[in-house]
Amino acid sequence: MKKKRHTLMKVVFLGPAVLSYLAVFLYPTLRTTVMSFFKVDSITDAVSKWSFAGLDNYRTLFSSELFLRSMRNIAGIWLYGGLLVFALALLLAAILTSGVRLKSFFRAVIYLPNVISAVAMGTMWMQYVYSSRYGLLKSTFKTLGLEGLSAVQWTSPEHIFGALLVAYCFGMVGYFMLIFMAGIEKIPADFYEVATIEGAGKFKQFRHITMPLMKGVMRTSIVLWTISTVVFFIWSMVFSPLNPEPGTVTPMVYMYQMVFGANMVVTERNVGAGAAVGVLLSLMVLAIFIVSSKAIRDDGLEF
Amino acid sequence: MSGINSSRMSRAARGNQLPGYLVVTAWCLFTFVLIGWIVAASFSTTRDIFKGELFKSGFHPENYVKALVTHNVGVYFVNSLIYTISACFGIAAVSAPAAYILARFPSKTGNLIQNSFVAALGVPAIMIIMPLFALITSLGWTNSRLLLIALYVAINVPFTVFFMTTFFKNIPSSFEEAAAIDGCGPMRTFWVIILPLAQPGLVTVTIFNFITVWNEYFMALIFANNTALRPVAVGLYSMIQSMRYTGDWAGMFAAVVIIFLPTFLLYIFLSEKIIAGVTSGAIKG
Repeated sequence: MKKKRHTLMKVVFLGPAVLSYLAVFLYPTLRTTVMSFFKVDSITDAVSKWSFAGLDNYRTLFSSELFLRSMRNIAGIWLYGGLLVFALALLLAAILTSGVRLKSFFRAVIYLPNVISAVAMGTMWMQYVYSSRYGLLKSTFKTLGLEGLSAVQWTSPEHIFGALLVAYCFGMVGYFMLIFMAGIEKIPADFYEVATIEGAGKFKQFRHITMPLMKGVMRTSIVLWTISTVVFFIWSMVFSPLNPEPGTVTPMVYMYQMVFGANMVVTERNVGAGAAVGVLLSLMVLAIFIVSSKAIRDDGLEF
Repeated sequence: MSGINSSRMSRAARGNQLPGYLVVTAWCLFTFVLIGWIVAASFSTTRDIFKGELFKSGFHPENYVKALVTHNVGVYFVNSLIYTISACFGIAAVSAPAAYILARFPSKTGNLIQNSFVAALGVPAIMIIMPLFALITSLGWTNSRLLLIALYVAINVPFTVFFMTTFFKNIPSSFEEAAAIDGCGPMRTFWVIILPLAQPGLVTVTIFNFITVWNEYFMALIFANNTALRPVAVGLYSMIQSMRYTGDWAGMFAAVVIIFLPTFLLYIFLSEKIIAGVTSGAIKG
């Protein structure tokens, strides 16, 4: 009797969560995967109207100049942005865990961009920092007497990728800084005390104590960074609000324009290829996950 | 924590902290200038903004009226409030009971469910959007508030379950044992005894969900892209797109402020809780 009641409770309590998962994650993921091997003209077409196309959709993607550009763009965001974000986040985390005053205040301010809508943050950068008429960069360089730099059009096609990267990374630094700070604070203080007594300087301590003990945290962070960069979308839309530009286009923007878009840049409507973009991005996340778990082994240290 | 750290530092080492202070102060200063200027510009006029002389022609709170009424930001704001508040309640109602079962009754099925939920955290939105769009269109449910709320609930369930499971695990099961002895059924025990104990975790994860749903853009762009249904993020974006026709920069900056104000205020009051939540959720590895 008692056991039966528990079964009822389990079903009632787990039911809605499991059903919503099946409806919104499992079913769509499987259908998108299958769809990527079919030619599908309209997104609302029934399965009976799909025609099998093998790897054609993937071939279409890899022969599209704009798609290849979008892949190069996210590879750049992942690699250069990743190096920038991880380096700055580690630096700030090391500073804030070294016993500075007002630690919580600094930490809170640096994390702040993460709670603000990306559309709002992007607009602030695009319409203020990079503005060629009254922008922060323009006026700062002008005050410093650097006429050459103040005349730079930061959002022109040759600079926009860098401008986008810096603006995006500025917010992400705060998030990874919090994760790194928590990782550093988990390391017992006596490790550092002993090192100090033995005569190891700050830099050596960071290199030989902090970094090795943060392996697990780094691995998680790399996966989190990958998950957030493959779906790079809003920033790209805000930085080129009218049409996707080669400098800012990402696979997700490309897919959006191809399946839902109304502009003339991506003219071909090919829902199957849109699905293939999704499959490729998921495979990238999976690949990075597997590689980083194999490459960065936890030494099984307990502390 | 800072106590341990400061005892770690000798006086001499503290002298070297100046470069560190300079770096973090410069970073924070930039953040303040960025947000401060936007707020100042939102009370100025487009002409003064372009001349680089904010407030030259005085203080202009009417930008907010223009943004809210003329540019429809008022409608978007109410939409966002409806979506965000309903979704937060929905997410909690679906996730908390599920997380409780996963935490209290470990089993093979439970493990499978838990792993599937964690895997969902890595699934890009692009993987799920097309079938959902096809399904919803064929059922004729597009452009409905209720649908967008249901989507927001479903999408945020995996993270919330993941977050809450650890929380329930830390509540000693002696509470249920005592309740069972007193003749309280297991379901009632959950609602009356366990859920109140889990309140701090539920509040933290709900703050996260509030921020996530308030700032959500992609789903709303696809499922609620008309003036009556748009939330603020999509509304601001459509406003930016039409800037070259309207040319109302001051009104746009007012809209930016209106959009970030709710999550910004939430953060001012609850930053410690939010920061503690970020690290406890992500650090598991």
